Amino acid sequence: MHIEREQLGSEVVLKVAGRLDTPNAKPFEASLMEVVTTTDGGLLVNLAGVDYVSSSGLRALLVAGKAMRTAKRKLTLSSLQPQIREVFDISGFSTLFEIT
Amino acid sequence: MAIIAQILAGLGLLFVGLKIMSTHLQQATGRRVRNLLRTATRSPFAGLLCGTLAGAATQSSNAVAVISGNLVRGGVLTTRDAIPIVAGGNVGTAALVFVAAIDFRLLVLYLVAMVGFGFQFKLDRRPAFKEWMGVALGLALVLLGLDYIKQGPRALDVSALAAVLDHGISPWVGFLLGLIAAAVSQSSSTPTILVVALMQSQVLGLDDSIIIVMGANLGSGISAVLTAGELEGTGRQLCYVHVLVKAVGCLLVGAVLLAAGWLGAEPVALLSQMGGGKASASLSLLFLALQVAGAVPVSLARGVTEAIAARLSPPTMEDSASKPRFIHERALGDFATALDLAEQEIMRLVKLLPTLLPDLDQQDQSGPAERLALWRGANAIGVAIDQFLSDLIARGVPRGSLQTALHLQALVETVRTLQDTLHAFTEVVEGFADLPPLGFNLSESLRTIILSLADATDGDAEDLDLIITLAGDRSDLLSRIRRQLAASALGTGEDARQLLLATSLFERGVWLVRRSAVALRAPANEANPVVNAASGEARKREEADAHRT
Repeated sequence: MHIEREQLGSEVVLKVAGRLDTPNAKPFEASLMEVVTTTDGGLLVNLAGVDYVSSSGLRALLVAGKAMRTAKRKLTLSSLQPQIREVFDISGFSTLFEIT
Repeated sequence: MAIIAQILAGLGLLFVGLKIMSTHLQQATGRRVRNLLRTATRSPFAGLLCGTLAGAATQSSNAVAVISGNLVRGGVLTTRDAIPIVAGGNVGTAALVFVAAIDFRLLVLYLVAMVGFGFQFKLDRRPAFKEWMGVALGLALVLLGLDYIKQGPRALDVSALAAVLDHGISPWVGFLLGLIAAAVSQSSSTPTILVVALMQSQVLGLDDSIIIVMGANLGSGISAVLTAGELEGTGRQLCYVHVLVKAVGCLLVGAVLLAAGWLGAEPVALLSQMGGGKASASLSLLFLALQVAGAVPVSLARGVTEAIAARLSPPTMEDSASKPRFIHERALGDFATALDLAEQEIMRLVKLLPTLLPDLDQQDQSGPAERLALWRGANAIGVAIDQFLSDLIARGVPRGSLQTALHLQALVETVRTLQDTLHAFTEVVEGFADLPPLGFNLSESLRTIILSLADATDGDAEDLDLIITLAGDRSDLLSRIRRQLAASALGTGEDARQLLLATSLFERGVWLVRRSAVALRAPANEANPVVNAASGEARKREEADAHRT
């Protein structure tokens, strides 16, 4: 898994590539939480390079999403591949996050 | 030929009657027997007495062993507590052997008449009489069968047959005959009753009968282990206790009879004297002596018995997974504490839900056998909580607590249904040789939702709100997936059928998660002010949610 971080105005963009599986879930969650705790703007997670997501990867997003919601900040997901979009739809995550 | 037919008919009636009587007795007295056994933990003698009463009430030592096994799994009894109960169950079954020794022809006729009239006047349809009519029917068939068996050989030249048997049955053959008869009928009392009937017809003498009954006694113990099949852990341990009771009984009684012989006494004559000259009464006493001689030492040395049983059948993962951690019998005395403990036990069940699903992302995940054991264990805890709450309600709880108890009962029912749905879903997913992407997505999605529900039990109302949103209606999405599946290359194949089943189970599981989350947000224990203080806000949300849904 590879994560690139960009600052676009007040918003942080994380470009993620690779597999969001159990071994990668912790580092992914740590990257998300670092943005949550060290910045105060929105967070955009670009998942264009993600070709596999498991329950561990989804939970990492859920933890960050809950923290952002508590802080009344916006977490957006973008560029999901069709098979990843299906996981988000089936799991109900599409109703929790804004997906562009 | 007619004699053989009459004996066979008698045996048939005896088998059917015993089955009917035992089943209806368990239905009629099961709850009382269960309550009786729960009080049996005070001392080995209390256990023996309760087991004896339970054995007499159900006329099945196996039934007593099964109920005890369930109570051990449910954490109500320990294996050590259950040993005297199982031992006592054997003593209780001697009651029927004594009944068979009585001349009951007139009683049988009246009983058959009474049962017949009862059914004619539809007494069997009244809830209060239903099971007892079954018991009476079973008893009538048993006694009628015995009467057939007794009457049949009377037409024979008994003296000639007795002479043949006298010369033909060596002690070992008699012992083996009894052992096989008990193994086939899975009961020691049935062959003993048969021998009593044959003795009353003077086909068998007391000396041959003693050996046959001892063989039958050991045979029924062995058959309990043989019929235990795949049963493991605690359940099998109690079967070994059963064997020990039978074997120790045979050894001790056999030793006494042999010692009496060596000391110059005539054991058969002594036994006959004890039965007041009536061979059938003597044999009934011998049967009782075999049960007591086995039950008492096995119960008194229950530490040793437990060690032997545990060595032969070590506790399984299912045994430990079946034990409740919070609820216990003594808590029933304090409503607020009992409800609080029941709530904590339910929370623990919810936390265990993720273990029922496979983690497809992990190579070193637990296997199907382990998950099956965990599902059975979780199921047993669910049953124990339900029983605990039913017992609490039966004690006449105050109105506020009653509402809470009913709320918890509904919650545990939902969680139990969710357990079964997750188990069925797992079986479908694990049935694929090569899991299709849709199956993977469904499984990992369901796992995420279930893990979130388990986490929410330690969280706040917002966490449960999140679960309720996450578990919202997705019937449109799943209908679209099903249509796509039907039109796909998989089409009408077995894989497609299994995937369709997986989508249905997934949908059901998600709906049950939502229901559980809504129920968890409601106040749980109004009788407990500590818990209740945090529940006011939750109650408002529950009401609002009820309006929305």
